[in-house]
Amino acid sequence: MHDFAIIVKAMATEKKDILLSILFGFTAGITAVGLFAASGYLISKAALTPPLYSLIILTSTVKLLGITKAIARYAERYFSHRATFTILSNLRVSLFQKMVPMVPRLFQKYRSGDLLSRVVGDVETLQNFFLRVFYPPIVVTIVFLSTILFTSFFSISIALILLIGMLLTVVGIPALFAWRQKKIDHDVRNQRSSLSVQTAEFLNGFRDLTIHQKVEATKQNLIQSSNAYIREQKRESLNKLYSESVNTFLSLLVTWSVLAIGSFLISSGQLEGIFLAMFVLISLTVFEDAGPMAALPVHLQDSKHAATRLTKVTAETSHTTDRQTDAIRLTHARPITAQVRGVSFTFPGEKRQALKNVDITFPASSKTAIVGPSGSGKSTLFMLLLGLYHADTGTITLDDTPMDQIDLDSIWEHTAVMLQENHFFYGTIRDNLILAKDGLTDTEMTEILRKVNLDHFTLDDPVHEKGDNLSGGEKQRLALARAMLKNAHLWLLDEPASSVDPLTEQSIYRHLFKQAANDTLVIVTHRLTNLEKMDQIIVMDHGNVVEIGSFNELMQQKGYLYEMKQIEKNLL
Amino acid sequence: MSGLQNNMLSHKKQLIFLCTLAVMTATMVVLQAYFLAAIVEAIFVQEQTFSAITLMFAGLAAVLLLRTAFTYFGRRTGIMVAANSKATYRRGLLDKFADESVLQAAQGQSGGKISILLDAVDEMDSYFSEYIPQLIQASIIPVVILAVAFTQHVNTGLIMIITAPFIPLFMIIIGMQTKAKSEEQQEKLTAFSGQFLDALQGLTTLKLYRQARAQKKAIETSSLGFRDATMEILQIAFTSSFMLELISMLSIGIVALELAIQLIIYEQVSFFTAFFLLMLAPEFYATLKQLGSTFHSGQSSKGAATKVVKELTKDTDPLIWGDLELPAAAIPPAIELQNACYHYAERQFSLENINAVIPPYGDIAIVGRSGSGKSTLLHLIAGLLPLKEGNITVNDHSLGAYNKHSWFGQLSYISQHPYLFSGTIAENIAMGSTLDHTREEIEQAAEQAGIADVINQLDQGYDTPVGEAGRGLSGGEMQRLALARAFLKKPSIILFDEPTTALDLYTERILYASIRQLAQQATIITVAHRLYTIKDADTILFLESGKLLASGTHAELIRNVPEYRNMVLANDGGENNA
Repeated sequence: MHDFAIIVKAMATEKKDILLSILFGFTAGITAVGLFAASGYLISKAALTPPLYSLIILTSTVKLLGITKAIARYAERYFSHRATFTILSNLRVSLFQKMVPMVPRLFQKYRSGDLLSRVVGDVETLQNFFLRVFYPPIVVTIVFLSTILFTSFFSISIALILLIGMLLTVVGIPALFAWRQKKIDHDVRNQRSSLSVQTAEFLNGFRDLTIHQKVEATKQNLIQSSNAYIREQKRESLNKLYSESVNTFLSLLVTWSVLAIGSFLISSGQLEGIFLAMFVLISLTVFEDAGPMAALPVHLQDSKHAATRLTKVTAETSHTTDRQTDAIRLTHARPITAQVRGVSFTFPGEKRQALKNVDITFPASSKTAIVGPSGSGKSTLFMLLLGLYHADTGTITLDDTPMDQIDLDSIWEHTAVMLQENHFFYGTIRDNLILAKDGLTDTEMTEILRKVNLDHFTLDDPVHEKGDNLSGGEKQRLALARAMLKNAHLWLLDEPASSVDPLTEQSIYRHLFKQAANDTLVIVTHRLTNLEKMDQIIVMDHGNVVEIGSFNELMQQKGYLYEMKQIEKNLL
Repeated sequence: MSGLQNNMLSHKKQLIFLCTLAVMTATMVVLQAYFLAAIVEAIFVQEQTFSAITLMFAGLAAVLLLRTAFTYFGRRTGIMVAANSKATYRRGLLDKFADESVLQAAQGQSGGKISILLDAVDEMDSYFSEYIPQLIQASIIPVVILAVAFTQHVNTGLIMIITAPFIPLFMIIIGMQTKAKSEEQQEKLTAFSGQFLDALQGLTTLKLYRQARAQKKAIETSSLGFRDATMEILQIAFTSSFMLELISMLSIGIVALELAIQLIIYEQVSFFTAFFLLMLAPEFYATLKQLGSTFHSGQSSKGAATKVVKELTKDTDPLIWGDLELPAAAIPPAIELQNACYHYAERQFSLENINAVIPPYGDIAIVGRSGSGKSTLLHLIAGLLPLKEGNITVNDHSLGAYNKHSWFGQLSYISQHPYLFSGTIAENIAMGSTLDHTREEIEQAAEQAGIADVINQLDQGYDTPVGEAGRGLSGGEMQRLALARAFLKKPSIILFDEPTTALDLYTERILYASIRQLAQQATIITVAHRLYTIKDADTILFLESGKLLASGTHAELIRNVPEYRNMVLANDGGENNA
């Protein structure tokens, strides 16, 4: 059960619904048994031509049981599904809470964006845990045990047969199947992900494959992968079918044995003949619910994989949490001095250093531009300044306090940030701006939209998932607007206006510089424009700081920046 | 949808087998009830000895075994058909994808295609493995039971035939309700279900704006909202099962009551008949109910099938190739464009009437603003897009007359974002060429492309596996790796899509020098973004809105074409806009 700790915890608050599900599940199961037992008894009784009233009582019992069963089944379904969805909700909330301190390190580690959709998918998978793995065996077992108890009043041997049958069909066969399934399941998953990766390569690299004449060969490989995948799926289905068939046959065999033992007991005078039909029908009915137990291991396995993955994702929390208590808070609402001293950094799981022994000072109220080609470490430096990653060696201080003593939350409170990739939430423009600061008014937000040349939007305009309905430039400006609304005194802006035309860029910069006049401003840019306005320019390449100086100094020096400027001039 | 049925019909042998099995299963169902009733009657009514009925026990055991076996083989057949059909559909899809021209492959969001190839095809499984076999069973077994019931006791048969239609009727009514309800709730459901993913994706932003706590509340609200919306739909489904259960229960009750009355009051039927029919009745209704649940899974796999079939019948625009060999001569071929045209199906843009002569060893630059059709033209010349009108000739034969392999064998295409495949670095360099290359040749190519130092620093050197799409390599390094491919291949035609942004200085220099070096042995056609490339070119093709506005050298165009002058000068002025 250790694997399932994560979901069991989420179930803890739903005890009432869980109990109700089990209660009604039991009622439905036991009334079904009772219903058929009664009709078997009824028909036998009828054969002995009894007084009519006893028949009427019996028939009414049958009817009553039938209706009770249908109602109980309805209630069971209702409560079990309600419990399931509430459990999922609890699970989502607790996962979210756990993941908050871990970003963006978590994203770096599993860089591919599908980590998140996997988390979402795994949560969905876990809905089967309660619904198909957790409570049905409980219900089936209680129904069985009650039936066996009832039977034992008439005949111990028949009760024993039922007990053996139950152990085989509810425990034995599913366990055997689970054991065989384990290996297959593993293969199915591997085949599937390999097919998926290969297909992605085939489609994304199609042009290169065409030119290098590898389309046909790659297609043949894909067909083979697909066939291997289908073969594994087939093996899985056949294995499941086999177990179900064995289970069904065993249940039928139990009924056969009940009939045989019953007949023997009756013919030898140890049991009354009138009960025989009843026992046969009881046995047939009670084993109906045992059939689905054969498929339980599939759901168990899926849930286990999902739970394990989710646990793994959140397991690292303990050693990567943000510091909470006894940390110093940045309190002053004034420009901040930031210092980077001998900082080196390598992303977890990568070999090459992203930053190599970097030394930079950002004096209070200074304006700095960090330039360099893509992959030079500009954006990484931002992540470190924000405390989203920790330097491997060297120190970063904000107002002379080392980063690792500062409450990170207070850094974010006093920083206006715009990262390379900014997230926009599904909703409206207003929804996406209002999270900048408490108590923002519509007027303020409309005013900011004007400043970043986004006045063609109103606050009520929709924003689709991930801002898909906005162009690259619009997203950039919306993120900048959000940062500007924050009114902080340390600005860290990654490519604030690189995808807009020079004139718009001019106007945006004018507003930005006006608002940040007294603040510490750091801008990452690969476009070498507007650099004259900066106090210092830091040129980076492959994780190194290659030059620091003002625009004029560096241009006169005719070093890296100068050459980059020449290339840029040459760009159309 | 017809696609699925056709596919099923193509498995005629299996269909006949399934029908036969269903008839035999039905027989076993009847025999099972018969033996059970006979045994109970022998013991209970006739009070025979146990030994007298051993044969019947043997018969019952055989029937139970056979019943299980028939069911097993029926479902097994379904699984086999499903596996075959999935393989067929997937192969069809892959053929379709492979036939598409480069452009169509690029524009169809690869995520959607992957999902069709994997998920949609997988979802079709249950149509073949469950829906069809159960449909056959459900249409045969109840009929057989009904027939038997009529022969035994007409009233039971009548009760069955009257009550049976209520089951499908209720299913249809409730199915329609559920559909309407879920359509009504759909928007709500999508919004709710997307919110968790949205919040996770935005975690960094939420954190930096210190909104995580508020968002936690929002997730809870939307999760519970999702629950309530789903429960509303589910409740209809539960009500439907409730009704079905009630109908079958009541029907069985009526059957039993009628039998009991006949048994006691009129003494018309024997105990055997009554018990026999009483055991057949639940089987009759159970098969009908099962059809209902199968119907649901059949519907969703039909939906998946529709997606697959739609993809399969989508128009493609395949490239036609001939069998003319393009000799790997010492001199690159002469290329000529005669009124070459291309237009996109979905977009307004079209490339019109491009005329140009590209002599051997020519150095051609294609210039124009973004969206003017530069890449489209390069793709047309490369033979990656089908011409709509006009002609492109290579050594006086039309490009399409050549053998595909001999054409691509002489071509290198250096794109802005070269694609690296999973495999080692050596394999990635060697994939440029169809020939076998020694490690020395590969290393030499890497040396020429200025990437050898980077590779040698890696632990496994040339045998280092490259992750998906070259993870871990910088843009400049990937560009150099693409150059190494070209050095190894020694093509006679080079198509070069120059990077639009500046790379690191080292790569910029290597790129420039390498291209010059490669151009000594080849014709080179560049989509140019750098002024020096344009100034060096023999001929510039200047495009505007899909039209060839002018061609000539840089000096000529500056002199004669105001649009060209504006574009180049605007750039020169760009640095002063600060």
